This record gives sequence, C-alpha cells and structure tokens, in this order.
Amino acid sequence: MGYSFDFQSVSFGPLWEGLIVTLELTVAANLIGVVLGFPLALLIMSRFAPIRLPAMLFVEFFRCTPAIVQIVWFFYCVPMLFNVFLGSMTMGILALGLNLMAFNAEAYRAAIQAVPREQLDAGIALGLNPLQRTLHIVLPTAVRASIPVLLTNGIGIFQQTALVAIVAVQDLMYQAKTLATETYRPIETFTIVALVYFAVSFPVSQIVGHLERRRQLMMS
Amino acid sequence: MALDFSIILRFQDALLLGLWTTVKLTLVCIVLGCSLGFFIGLARTSRSAILRAASSVYVEFFRGTPVLVQLFWIFFCLPLILGVELSNLTSGVIALTLYMGAITSETFRASLKSIGPEQLDACVALGLPRRVQVTNVILPQAVLRAVPTLLSNCVSLFKESALVSAVGMADLMFVGQNISNNTARPIEVLTVVALIYFVIAFPLTRAVTLVERRVLAKLAI
Repeated sequence: MGYSFDFQSVSFGPLWEGLIVTLELTVAANLIGVVLGFPLALLIMSRFAPIRLPAMLFVEFFRCTPAIVQIVWFFYCVPMLFNVFLGSMTMGILALGLNLMAFNAEAYRAAIQAVPREQLDAGIALGLNPLQRTLHIVLPTAVRASIPVLLTNGIGIFQQTALVAIVAVQDLMYQAKTLATETYRPIETFTIVALVYFAVSFPVSQIVGHLERRRQLMMS
Repeated sequence: MALDFSIILRFQDALLLGLWTTVKLTLVCIVLGCSLGFFIGLARTSRSAILRAASSVYVEFFRGTPVLVQLFWIFFCLPLILGVELSNLTSGVIALTLYMGAITSETFRASLKSIGPEQLDACVALGLPRRVQVTNVILPQAVLRAVPTLLSNCVSLFKESALVSAVGMADLMFVGQNISNNTARPIEVLTVVALIYFVIAFPLTRAVTLVERRVLAKLAI
C-alpha cells in the first residue's frame, strides 16, 4: 500500500460548522416530525375516507420513494410550482421534516392501536368527551409507547440529513466533500466524517436498545 | 406554468434503461447482502468473542453512518487503499451489499433468537450433530420467520440504491436528474421518477404485511 496518511491536513473548522448545520437540520426536522406526526396519525385512522385517504397517500408516498428523490424534487419543484423562494436551510428542514412526519405517523399509529380498549372504555365510563379521551388517555400512553421508534426515526433522519449536501446545503457531508477535493485527502476526511456521524448515532441507538429491553422486562 | 408530461415519452427509453440499472443493482445486492447478513447474524450469536466483536463493530458502524457517506468512502477511498481502479458499478455493489448485509444480519439475529431453547434441547436429546442442527432445524425456521422483515429490508435497499446517482452511476435517479437538467422540466421528470419508485416500492410494502399475516398464521406464532 503506497498511501501515507496525513490527518493533519484535515481542517476541523469547516467540519465543525458543518456538524452544527447537520444538528440544526436534525433538531428542526425532529420538531416537525414529532409534533405533526401525531395529528397525521389521527388523520390516517379517521373513519372518514376523504380525510383518511389523502393522509394515507401522503404517508405512503414518503415511505415508498427514496429520500434523495424527495429532497431533489422538493428543491427543484416547490419553488416552481408554488412560486415561493425559501432559503436552502428552510427547504432542507421542510423536506426532511415532512419525511420524518410520515414515518413518525406510522409509529404513532401502531402505538395508538396498542392502547388497550379497556382504557378507552374507562374514559367513556368517566364521562370524558372524545377530545378529552384523545388528549388525556391516548396521547400520553401512545407517546410513551412510541418513544423507542421515534428515537430510531430521529437518528434515521440525522443520517438522511447527509442528502441535503447534494442540493448544496452546507452540512457536514457538504463540507467533507469540499474538503476532500481541496486537500486531496479523501480517506482522512471521509473517515473522520463517518466517525463523527457514528459518534452521534451510536449512543442514541444504544439508548433505544436499553429502553426496548426495559420495556420488554416490564411487559413480561 | 404549463406542464407538459408528454416530454416523458420522448425520454422513455433512457428512463427505462435507468430503471433497469436500478433493478439489476438492487437484485444483485439483495442476493449478496442477504447471504452476507445470514453469516454475520450467525457470527453475532457465535461463542467466539472475536467473531462476535468483529461482527458487532461492522454492523453498528454501517447502521450508525449515513449510506451516502459509506458510498463516498468506498467510491473515493477504497481504490486508494487497495491500489486498484474500481468501476462505479463495483463500488456501488460493494457499498450497497455491505449496507444490506448489516441490516439483514439484524433481521436474521432476531429470527435466530426467536427459536426457543427447547428446540436445541430436542436436538441434543435426539443426538443430532451440530451441522444437522443448523441446516435442518434452525436454518429453515429462522429463514421463514425472517421473510417479512427481509422483504422490508429489500424495499429499503431499493430506495437507498438511488444514492448511487450521487457518485455518477446511471441509475433511474441519475437519468431522471440529467433529463430534468437538460430539458429544464424538473416538475414533470422528477415527479415521474418519484412515481416509478413508488409504483415498485408500494406493492412490495403491501406484500410485507400480507406475508407477515400468512407466515405468522402458518407458524402459529
């Protein structure tokens, strides 16, 4: 092997800035996904077809097309179709947030369906109206039950943020690409960047594993 | 703005060629990735600590980093390290196979775990050698139970395969983007590309639910 490693030539300044952008994208997309995913789940489970079908179509569309296609589509087509010109950061957040919303809606739906029937019956017996039942019984139980999946989806979107580099949002991946071409040090740059992504994802996935094990223990 | 979807018909052949590349790439990586995943799944439950540690590092690393980064790493760094030229098809296949191996190994591991210890006890009681235990008792059950999740892993792989467009492989996404850039008609072209992906992935996800019910009913679990 004739390659001599030189990790010194990788400047950490741009990578650090990129990581901040990546984290900002992740947090903002997660806010959209976690908050709006729940009402979307309620729409998917609605008894009225005109409400349910468009919501289902929305979810299935995001789940069944590649994220890169969604992002490129969003960046090219939304400005043309709706005549709105937003900053690339806002666009990135919206595209990733909508994607996460669809995935989280599925997580919430599974959790809502797992809320025991008796609890709802008890709510009716106590004279709570449907809104109160949703807010005070279904919401807390379902949200708690879906936390592991929400976290998994959250890291998933953290990894997907790398895709916005393709549409020139200056995230960690974008900085890595620029740095690798400027310094001719692809191995060092991409290895460091892979390690950075890993260092963020791995602890979260360990926490998810821990939560799931604890949950299984509680159930048995 | 006037939309003109007839433009798609003009580029029909190019899009179909791109789709064919996507499908070929996906199928090759499904076969290679599932085989790799099965052995990694076994390695993760192995008695040897070295095998367990090595396979865990591999799986966690590939699950903990973006596929795009993996793809770039293999595309730009592997040829430098190995000192050989890799075509973008080869790097695409390597990257997606390694990704598929990591996610399917988790599927196999879970299905191996679901086989109760009483089965192994029965094997011991019957005096079956280790090899027969694996091939005739554990393998068939593990594979059957893994089928629904494997199918959804395949859908994930199909979607992730669109990333190879970022390293210049002429798959459906790459062709679509090229046409859209050259004709300045992103809305028509990119929408159709998204629809093509959807039309393939959506029935597959429905099949997952169907198989799940069938397999679960058959195995009575």
